[in-house]
Amino acid sequence: MTNGTHHSSPPSAFRAWCVLVVQSFQRHLRVRQMGWVSAVLLGLVVVWVAFATQNGAWELAGHRARRITTPIKDNQPSSAAPLARLTNAQEAERLRPDSRYNALAGGNTDRFQPHEVPNPLNPTEDALASLVLSIPHAAMRSEVPVGTAPEVVTKVEPNRFLTSWRFMSYSRWVIFLVFMGFVLPLFTLSYASGAFGTERESRSLVWLMTRPIPRSGIYLAKFLGTLPWCVAFGLGGFVAVCLAGGPAGREALARFWPAAAMGTVAFASLFHLVGAIFRRPVVVGLVYVFFYETVVAILPGSLKLLSLTFYARSLMYNEAVGAGHPGEMLPAMTEAVSSATAWWVLAAAPVVITLFGMWLFSRSEYRDDI
Amino acid sequence: MSTETPLLLFEQVSKWYGSVLALNQVTLELTGGITGLVGANGAGKSTLLRMANGQLKPTLGQVSVRGTDAWDWKARRLVGYCPDIDAFYEDMSGRRFVWVMARLCGYTRAESKRRTEAVLERVGMSERADRKLRGYSKGMRQRIKLAQALVHDPELLILDEPLSGIDPIGRQELLELFQALAAQGKCLLISSHELESLEKLTNHVVIMARGRIVAVGTLQQIREMLDDRPVSVRIDVDRPREVARLLLALSEVIAVDVAPKLADGGEGIVVKARNPKRFFELFGRLVVEHQLEVRRLEPLDESAHAILGYLLGGSGKT
Repeated sequence: MTNGTHHSSPPSAFRAWCVLVVQSFQRHLRVRQMGWVSAVLLGLVVVWVAFATQNGAWELAGHRARRITTPIKDNQPSSAAPLARLTNAQEAERLRPDSRYNALAGGNTDRFQPHEVPNPLNPTEDALASLVLSIPHAAMRSEVPVGTAPEVVTKVEPNRFLTSWRFMSYSRWVIFLVFMGFVLPLFTLSYASGAFGTERESRSLVWLMTRPIPRSGIYLAKFLGTLPWCVAFGLGGFVAVCLAGGPAGREALARFWPAAAMGTVAFASLFHLVGAIFRRPVVVGLVYVFFYETVVAILPGSLKLLSLTFYARSLMYNEAVGAGHPGEMLPAMTEAVSSATAWWVLAAAPVVITLFGMWLFSRSEYRDDI
Repeated sequence: MSTETPLLLFEQVSKWYGSVLALNQVTLELTGGITGLVGANGAGKSTLLRMANGQLKPTLGQVSVRGTDAWDWKARRLVGYCPDIDAFYEDMSGRRFVWVMARLCGYTRAESKRRTEAVLERVGMSERADRKLRGYSKGMRQRIKLAQALVHDPELLILDEPLSGIDPIGRQELLELFQALAAQGKCLLISSHELESLEKLTNHVVIMARGRIVAVGTLQQIREMLDDRPVSVRIDVDRPREVARLLLALSEVIAVDVAPKLADGGEGIVVKARNPKRFFELFGRLVVEHQLEVRRLEPLDESAHAILGYLLGGSGKT
């Protein structure tokens, strides 16, 4: 009918497939409700991280000291009012020899434990006590000179212990728990599940399913059209969260971005499959994110081996430990797999999941009436 | 593939949705022209059409398009499908939508544009296709659906309720378009729950009821088939014996059972009559003349029930 006397180029299934990839990408330009929710969530996380960073939340010195707050005198609770909990830095300052001697001179030792009160009559014991009680101050206050040469110091930086503590504290709460546990899965869920979910909701999938393109090709094209959005928002979110985290965040960005990228791609493939299988992919995805990835992935046992974040976290953990940071600060990751295993799993997961999705989709019926 | 191969062939096709039998051993062969597919809601029309364009797989049997399994993507090159659902990419213009559909058929940009303009012209939308789809009337949306089905110039056009929601003038235009397409050698399978609208278009009709094809042929053939085949009709009415006496006086009535064993245990009479259409006309006169209170009038044979419904101008439910 339409080709009449015109010279028309023959249709090509590959060309149609390429058009579908582009079209799928463009469909995501319309930010959907779930996208907005994720963006707001990310905004809140970035604000929280920036606020916490500003207030030294990742710094050991700024943390409240863990110690008995009511002083004890002669093995009996003191009648003095409970001490306000001091920060580690204040506590270290309080335990310095000159602070303790000043308190002794002023007769103001109520707020000291018996072993903290200086004992000038026993110089050996007093020297040993002073030595031990000086350690916190030394750890909190010592600095590392940085310069172009030993004699040319341009600035001083906190010592290695403090920077490691800061980095691991930030990594534990912000990267491992909040970003990998919630933000990244939710971002990828919102975009990847929408590839088919939006078409199902608007009942427009029929237009694709009646085109002369293999079903497996439709599945793959929808995935490839969605993937750039997932990576852009997943990694973009990661960069935003890291940049809001100050020096620790910048180090986390440099060390962890490959794991975050691999995790994003793996999650995208998984949630794309969820979107193709389930009529309510967001509900299924949320249950998976909040139950499986968040809870099961940090429990002891082998169930976590089926968690994608476990492998991404393993990569991050190994990277951090390899850089000399104390792995003990990430107690949930003591069973981390090796980096090689994690790389293999994170690289294979998207391929296997996508191939499975293509196979499944090519056998599935689509009904436009329900 | 030889053109001798049927364009669309259903071979003993059954389709189950869980425990529901949607199609029951359907056999159908189309080679060209316009075929009307009629049946009540739930008769299985849409399932049959979706199988024909490869959206659904048969549970049993086989569906093929020019010898290619309809589930195979290559078969969709030969099929244009106009669904009954009213869902689009609403933010697109009609022109853009048809163009994208052409591109998704694998044509180049230029070729897609040429085809888009040609089909929009054909369905009478070329002047109105730049507005967003969300602002279209039902009739305009139907035309755009038709345009996308035509854009790759398929041999077989499957149109699910294409005339619903279209005003009489537009309906006439589309009927003329369908006839023109058939004259060009296209095969059209058009579903409708109203035989009346298809009667103007084609004489070849497939009547479906409860997942089965209960009649295929020209309307004349179907009517003759019914005339030759007595039908049993249940009538629930006051004064059954008096009514039985009146009915037996009718030339079309073969027998009347005044105390039948009915499946639901109700009370009524069962009339066996030849030439059902004539019988119903005569019975209607009796009801008026004798002021009978008819509580129920139901052909007991399901196939006859469905066919009669359509031939008598109803929706398949007598």
